[in-house]
Amino acid sequence: MTAVDLKPLRRSMEGIVASVLTTCDGDGMPNVSMISQVHFVDSGHVALSYQFFNKTRRNVLATRKASVMITDPVTLVTHRLALEFLETRSQGAVFETMKAKLAGIASHHGMDGVFRLLGADIYRVFSVEEVPCWQLLPGPPEHQLLADLRACQAGLDRCDDLEDLLDTALAGLEQHFAIRYAMVLMAEGGTERLYTVASRGYASSGVGSEVAFGEGVIGVAAREKAPIRIGHMTMEYRYGAAMVHTARRAGILSGVPTEIPFPGLKSPRSQIALPILLKDDLLGILFAEAEETMRFGYDEEDALLLLAGHLGLLIGALKDEAAVAEVEAVSGPAAGENSVAVRFHAPDQSIFIGHDYLIKGVAGAILWRLLGEFKETGRTEFTTRELRIDPTLRLPEFAENLDARLILLRKRLEERQACLRIEKSGRGRFRLVTQCSLKLENLSAAGTLSAG
Amino acid sequence: MTDGGNPASDQDGSAPSNRSAHDLLPSDLVALAQGGVSVVIGCCDRHGNPLSGIGLGARIDPAGCIRVFAKRATNAPLLAAIAEGARVAVTFSRAIDHASFQVKAHGAGVRDADPGDHPEILRQCMVFRDELIEIGLPPQVANSWVNADMADVVAISFRPCQAFMQTPGPGAGAPVSVP
Repeated sequence: MTAVDLKPLRRSMEGIVASVLTTCDGDGMPNVSMISQVHFVDSGHVALSYQFFNKTRRNVLATRKASVMITDPVTLVTHRLALEFLETRSQGAVFETMKAKLAGIASHHGMDGVFRLLGADIYRVFSVEEVPCWQLLPGPPEHQLLADLRACQAGLDRCDDLEDLLDTALAGLEQHFAIRYAMVLMAEGGTERLYTVASRGYASSGVGSEVAFGEGVIGVAAREKAPIRIGHMTMEYRYGAAMVHTARRAGILSGVPTEIPFPGLKSPRSQIALPILLKDDLLGILFAEAEETMRFGYDEEDALLLLAGHLGLLIGALKDEAAVAEVEAVSGPAAGENSVAVRFHAPDQSIFIGHDYLIKGVAGAILWRLLGEFKETGRTEFTTRELRIDPTLRLPEFAENLDARLILLRKRLEERQACLRIEKSGRGRFRLVTQCSLKLENLSAAGTLSAG
Repeated sequence: MTDGGNPASDQDGSAPSNRSAHDLLPSDLVALAQGGVSVVIGCCDRHGNPLSGIGLGARIDPAGCIRVFAKRATNAPLLAAIAEGARVAVTFSRAIDHASFQVKAHGAGVRDADPGDHPEILRQCMVFRDELIEIGLPPQVANSWVNADMADVVAISFRPCQAFMQTPGPGAGAPVSVP
């Protein structure tokens, strides 16, 4: 008997075409339902989600048998799988990935916590039968994903600072994987929030925008430290919408679901979020999306997850070799004629230039610290090291992401076309450039300093 | 061949007997089943192995007999099991909003679809195809999805004994209530 090999069938387990699941009770009365998740575990096993199919669940526990039909969404090749129930897992990689995908779908519909995955039911597949079903279509052209990944990683290895690394990664996605819309979000240490530090392809960069852990595919991927893909947004959104409607009718939900503020495509049909990990620490999320359906499959997930892992190692290496260069105080260039008020609000460390909001949080505190130094000494050259050890900034000892915050600050200043900017002046060094005189106002302290 | 119109014996002594679909289903579900929807079929062979199948559409006649149309080639093991008296479950699901319900029967009959059914099968397939396109499936995929050789189409006929709501979410699995 030929051993079952499910690897060639992974595309049929994307959840794009709903699968058919049949079980029977002890008397032979069948129960048949459509299911969205048949999860590929390995070449001989699949997992089904255990959440709402109560009759199915009872049948499986009674007979330990199931039958599933899966269909390749591209070629429409259909298979009938005979399954033997083995166990239910409520932790581990398979469970977390299934839970994260379910949560990602539910979150987009304000359904957090309602459709909870109770378990990942693991089945051994003991027979696979190809079923003549539909008129078949040609398969997609083959992609050389390993070659693409190799070329993309080679580009990253030449980068020597974080900004260059992230920009090169996003450029590499476009050049080697033809992924036009992508962004990197970094984790905000200790806050369970992510903020965008680099993006590519969008009309507006979205830099500085925030996503909470658990929100959408990005937030769920961050919370679970697992890759999340949605390959056919419209269909899965509608699946979620049916759940919302039913839950409302049942009185489980009330109110209007909150839309997730997300700076991306208005109508994405595919999204993928990959955790950037350094060992088990989450550094950030590599996110990509597309206007086409089924853009990211299992193979793309494999390749991009390896890329994200490589990014994590390189980010870790950059931190380890943080430059220690000290610079002498250098007087700033002559300021322009105009005067602009820079206002600092201590409770949330937010900065306003004139009346326009610029940034908040640690990035705001950093800018205020630089401007204060500039005001006091006229100094314009700084090092990342002095910021790292500055106790007033209260950077967490671990996962402080200073480089990412400086990138965020620099890009925000650039986007706002403010009369000041930050530019790199060497490894571990940067320069504050002012083009007008600045009046610093600490709103909390009710004090006003004039600079430049 | 078993006759779906005749209730099979009730082996557990508690399950309800087959009866008219009109007694079990409200009119909106009768319409849904015939409205160009996804039709999936389940049964259990004599060894206790569940089998999954796919249908093309359905008609419900005034006497309350449901005829589910399906391709013979796709569903060969199911049709063989049904011919041996297997119990049957069918779930109807509207692609556009996943509104779904399931009917079950103690037995069913299988015979070639009546040529008079062919235009209606084709109509339901076209509606289903259009809804697949509306929810985002590429047209070439949707067209292939509903391509059927009518010479290969059979009718699985039965009177249901039970009906359950199947729309995803809380309430899935609850018995259908007739107003």
